[in-house]
Amino acid sequence: MIHRYRIADDVAWVSQEDLDDGSSPTAYLTRVPGGPPVLLEGSGCVVWLALADGGTLADVIAAAAEMTGSTEAEVTEDVETLIDQLVAIRVVRED
Amino acid sequence: MVLMTEEPDVATAPIAARVHLAHAVVQKLAEERNIELLHLKGPAVLPGLRAEGRQSSDVDVLVRPSHLPRLISAVESIGWEQRTDFATGSVFAHAANWWHDDWGWLDVHVSWPGVGVDDEQAFDVLARGALQHSIAHWGCPVPNRTAQRLILVLHAARSPGGTDVDHAWTAAEPAEQAEVRALARELDAEVALAAGIGELALHRDHPTYALWRHFAEGGSRLDEWRARLAAAPSTRAKAGLVTAAMRVNRDHLRMELGRPPTRAEVRARQRQRLRKAAAELSTRVKRA
Repeated sequence: MIHRYRIADDVAWVSQEDLDDGSSPTAYLTRVPGGPPVLLEGSGCVVWLALADGGTLADVIAAAAEMTGSTEAEVTEDVETLIDQLVAIRVVRED
Repeated sequence: MVLMTEEPDVATAPIAARVHLAHAVVQKLAEERNIELLHLKGPAVLPGLRAEGRQSSDVDVLVRPSHLPRLISAVESIGWEQRTDFATGSVFAHAANWWHDDWGWLDVHVSWPGVGVDDEQAFDVLARGALQHSIAHWGCPVPNRTAQRLILVLHAARSPGGTDVDHAWTAAEPAEQAEVRALARELDAEVALAAGIGELALHRDHPTYALWRHFAEGGSRLDEWRARLAAAPSTRAKAGLVTAAMRVNRDHLRMELGRPPTRAEVRARQRQRLRKAAAELSTRVKRA
């Protein structure tokens, strides 16, 4: 069975693009209303932005590779690890 | 490759990020408890009504006055701590604020300075035609464009010198300005609107004229109190103002000190205020 990943319904988030800030990619997110703030920097933010569109693990790996100018093989392990962490803290849903 | 930090030091998150997320946090609380509120200022401002890149340092919401107790209970349930109350939060007694270690300042308004009609009625009018605006990818109700223009101009009337009037009023089409004037009439906010757009002189005979002129042109604390007394609609309101004037604002003193003030500190501040009042009177006597 192929799983699809998406940002959980109770997550609010904002990225540097929303803040009109030119510094390195960063996303700030939280589960509302009581979750702690979570910070995703650099490539972590890139994976988050890929997750914003939702998709399978392969979709997210492909998007992250494209956004970082890397090959899918180069990013696969890191993307898998991060998505596992994001699922564990329940900011990403696995359907 | 990947960096993820949970519960980062607040100082590491830019204020703008915290403000965006905090709007969403407050909105979620409101949804859970059927609290009607409108998000104001900062990221709640619709595109084009404010200078690009302008950031807000706190979260401002206008709550339906009858829902205030529920909102207070909700925000305090997740760690916001009240730092000022409505009597001492501002000269208009229209807002109080709360602090949260993760989300920073939350300003809760039950009315908007310059609006003359009853607070509950004002909320109905400002909420009419409210829009869903995404803040931190979370749908937040905000006043419509006309109401936002009026709110920004009324705020500028109290805090002149910014560029809000340029964007919210001067750049508006004549038809849009007419809509703002009509809304101001409905809310009994015409004098404050006039103060914001440079037409205050047309309202010289209005009881609140001196108060808005004070905000526009500045003046001493004594001038401010004289203007507030003139603007107070009833004898009881005037008596309340005088009582408040004699009281040291413990909330502000607490923020200044970073801890609750002692009785001795409150007394010392009272003496300081008396000295300042005496100095102002002395200056006036010399001028006369």
